[in-house]
Amino acid sequence: MTGVLSLSWRLLRGAGRHGMLGTVLTAAAVTVSTALLLFTIAGNVAFLARADREAWRHPVEASGGAVAIQAVAQDFVEDEIITVVTIAPLDGAERSGVHPPGLTRMPRPGEVWLSPALAELARRLPDERLAGRFPGTVAGTIGDEALVHPDELVAVVGRAPDDPAVTRKPLYASSTVIGPTRVADFTGKHGEMLLGYRILTVIASVLMVVPLLVFGGAAARLTVARRDQRLAALRLVGATPGQVVLMTVAEAVIVAAGAAVLGLVLYVASMPLVARIELAGGPWFVSDLWPGLLPVAGVLLAVPLLVGVSAVAGLRRVVISPLGVAKRETPPGMRVIRLVALFAALAVVPLASRSTSVTVVAVVLALAFLALNLTGPWVVSVIGRITARVARGPAALLAGRRLVDDPRSAWRTIAGVALTGFIAGFTGLLTPSGGMLGSPSTTDLIVLAPAEQVRTVAGGARVRLARAGIEAKVRVSEPRADGRSRADVPQRARVIVELPETASTAQVDTARTALAGLVPGHVATSPMDEQRAAFILFADLRTGTLIVLAASFLVAIVSAGITASSSVLDRRQTYALLRLAGTPLEVLDRARRIETLVPLAVMGGGSLLAGMFCALPFVFATLSAGGAAILLVTIAVGFGGVIAADALSRPLLRAVTRNPAPRPD
Amino acid sequence: MSTTADTNEPVLTGRGLVKRFGTTVALAGVDVAIGRTEAVAIMGPSGSGKSTLLHCLAGIMRPDSGEVHLLGQRIDTMGERGRSELRRTRFGFVFQFGQLLPELPADENVALPLMLGGVPRAKAVGEARRWFAPLGLDGLTARRPGELSGGQAQRVAIARALVTRPAVIFADEPTGALDQATGQETMRLLVEATKHNGASLVVVTHDPQVAAWCDRVLEMRDGRIIGSRYGTAAPSPQDPGHPAAPETTVRGRA
Repeated sequence: MTGVLSLSWRLLRGAGRHGMLGTVLTAAAVTVSTALLLFTIAGNVAFLARADREAWRHPVEASGGAVAIQAVAQDFVEDEIITVVTIAPLDGAERSGVHPPGLTRMPRPGEVWLSPALAELARRLPDERLAGRFPGTVAGTIGDEALVHPDELVAVVGRAPDDPAVTRKPLYASSTVIGPTRVADFTGKHGEMLLGYRILTVIASVLMVVPLLVFGGAAARLTVARRDQRLAALRLVGATPGQVVLMTVAEAVIVAAGAAVLGLVLYVASMPLVARIELAGGPWFVSDLWPGLLPVAGVLLAVPLLVGVSAVAGLRRVVISPLGVAKRETPPGMRVIRLVALFAALAVVPLASRSTSVTVVAVVLALAFLALNLTGPWVVSVIGRITARVARGPAALLAGRRLVDDPRSAWRTIAGVALTGFIAGFTGLLTPSGGMLGSPSTTDLIVLAPAEQVRTVAGGARVRLARAGIEAKVRVSEPRADGRSRADVPQRARVIVELPETASTAQVDTARTALAGLVPGHVATSPMDEQRAAFILFADLRTGTLIVLAASFLVAIVSAGITASSSVLDRRQTYALLRLAGTPLEVLDRARRIETLVPLAVMGGGSLLAGMFCALPFVFATLSAGGAAILLVTIAVGFGGVIAADALSRPLLRAVTRNPAPRPD
Repeated sequence: MSTTADTNEPVLTGRGLVKRFGTTVALAGVDVAIGRTEAVAIMGPSGSGKSTLLHCLAGIMRPDSGEVHLLGQRIDTMGERGRSELRRTRFGFVFQFGQLLPELPADENVALPLMLGGVPRAKAVGEARRWFAPLGLDGLTARRPGELSGGQAQRVAIARALVTRPAVIFADEPTGALDQATGQETMRLLVEATKHNGASLVVVTHDPQVAAWCDRVLEMRDGRIIGSRYGTAAPSPQDPGHPAAPETTVRGRA
């Protein structure tokens, strides 16, 4: 056992320049895969961490003795959301030692605690724009452990237990606006919004992990392909199948383990960059992006293991017969069953709907994805047969025959890009356009008021605005039971403050500040403010789509480049002899291009359509301009990337055919 | 030392060929002339420069000095593209193994050089198939290289080398991967078919039995030709029983 292992280590090191190149290519592939895999896991973990830190702002009604009354509202400044948490400590609260996370103690009435970003903003803006809304002494800064992201604007306002802000029933409630709640502690619960993000992350993960696995597998086979001849030779001199398998697996696993560690280094190095991606309102704490020791250990173990398994699968041929590699025979045809598998998976899709559970959706997506990957080689072989039949020139003939000969390897070259077509099709349809939300007014401010007090409130608003020097028309809406009205919400009316449409952000902010506290527990919001979260969500969906697409393309193009290079290396002897016999390299290059681009066009297009089909049950709009742009850019980048990857292997082709006396290694 | 074939009209000549690889001198001034339909074997131990000589004569490599002429045209000064075209159209190559594209059936492998020259596919494949029967490859047109025996694969390679009707066939250890009997049979067919088609043959080998099939044998050592003799170990090409005998007797003797 040790003897075999040390022999494989020596073979690995002594593989020569070409052998080394193959090893380096595999290592590069595994490195990129590992880094992206860690990124995917980190995405899920990071949203969980955010949800954990945000939980205290979703108060849970105390069943026994409460220590405080807590209310949560949203205010707005410039184009940003401020989360305002009002806390009224009850008797004995301070002695209980309970306090909100991020604060060193329970806030006292008249105190204000600001998050670092909000404190900075309050310093920068004139008091009448922002600071005036938080009367009282600034008692401290809210720590990172209570913030969703480093740039988050959060204020904790301490009030007396008899303050109207914490005694009155709220006029409006949502997942972000929560009326006074008696709490025993500040554990809280996960909010709905971040839960939604976590679901989206799971879907994105599935979309990214499948191509990563396919890619990793391809990379492993690549090592094996390089070793085929040598291993067949080892079999011929009498190595047992077990020894051959062990040696290959050892070699693949050694390389993969090293590359996985490199992938971890690459990921850790890029964490500060990744942290700048703004999602759900802001960038990330770098520490959020650390997937955790256990997941990292798992990845570092699983990646080499997967590569090893894939290597064994790729080796079967060699082990079955010592002559298995030396003899090239007509491969058995691909079976139509592969196509059936795809249609079976796609047939499930129409059964899904927006209410289907995420797990089911993720499974269906993964299945459709895998089925596509299964169908790929079959389609490629059909394309090859057609190409070979209609070919008139040598390049097309060569390309067609080669596709029929080894559809799997041709598929490996394009699989990544083609499968990315699936992702693009899926997300392209799901990308909503900002236009769907219209362009709500930013200069109308609305203050909710109890129906019976609406005239008084309107009067108060006029006085406050006049004092602040803001010119505005104040009117009152009829009390009505609109859609948001619920049984536990008092009847309400709206005071509408109409600033001139030309009003600046500063004027709007000043008006907000002037109106602060007019109705206790409620702030003045513009129609735009109410859509703010939706706008952020839509922007995030676009960002997420772009991240998934970018990652997929990275994988796809690296994989296309690696397989193109390995295919050159695998055939170097024949290529060299053909070149000696006067075959122009352009013919070989053209053959390689046809071999790649024709299946890419068919399968990429097919995946795109399959992806769009899978998205149909969830579509809540027709194809948006943004979605169409994503689809077009995808097609351009996909083809461009594969052509570029192919072009990169051309110097390699030139190099390996330059040697006039090629010998197999 | 220089050796020149005493023929009326040499097809291919090399004069004063010198080739160095770093400090190693592979060719140290070689003169050689190949006559029309002449079969010449280049023999010598490993490192004697025999393959380098073949590469220089075939326009694969450019000698550091000296000249190579094909039918009076100087070819060693041509650019890569020109030499590549020359190799494809005027020369044919038979290597030890691995020269057939494993994906293509035998007939398309043979037709490939014609297609590269612009012959339409149907015509090229039709032309290619005509070579199968004379080379004893009946019924094997649709086989792929992996489904052929070593001897059959070499005969397909011979067909491919000849299909463009080249002036010279270069063979580098053409029987190196074959057993004795198959090797002899392959050499017989190679010499016969080459001469039958009016082409000359240059064979690099270290096997005297292979060399014996040729009209002339050049012995190489340390980048020089140290001896030249006529193939006698095998049946003389003059023997009526020799397959290469008919119509190939235009040759002088030194």
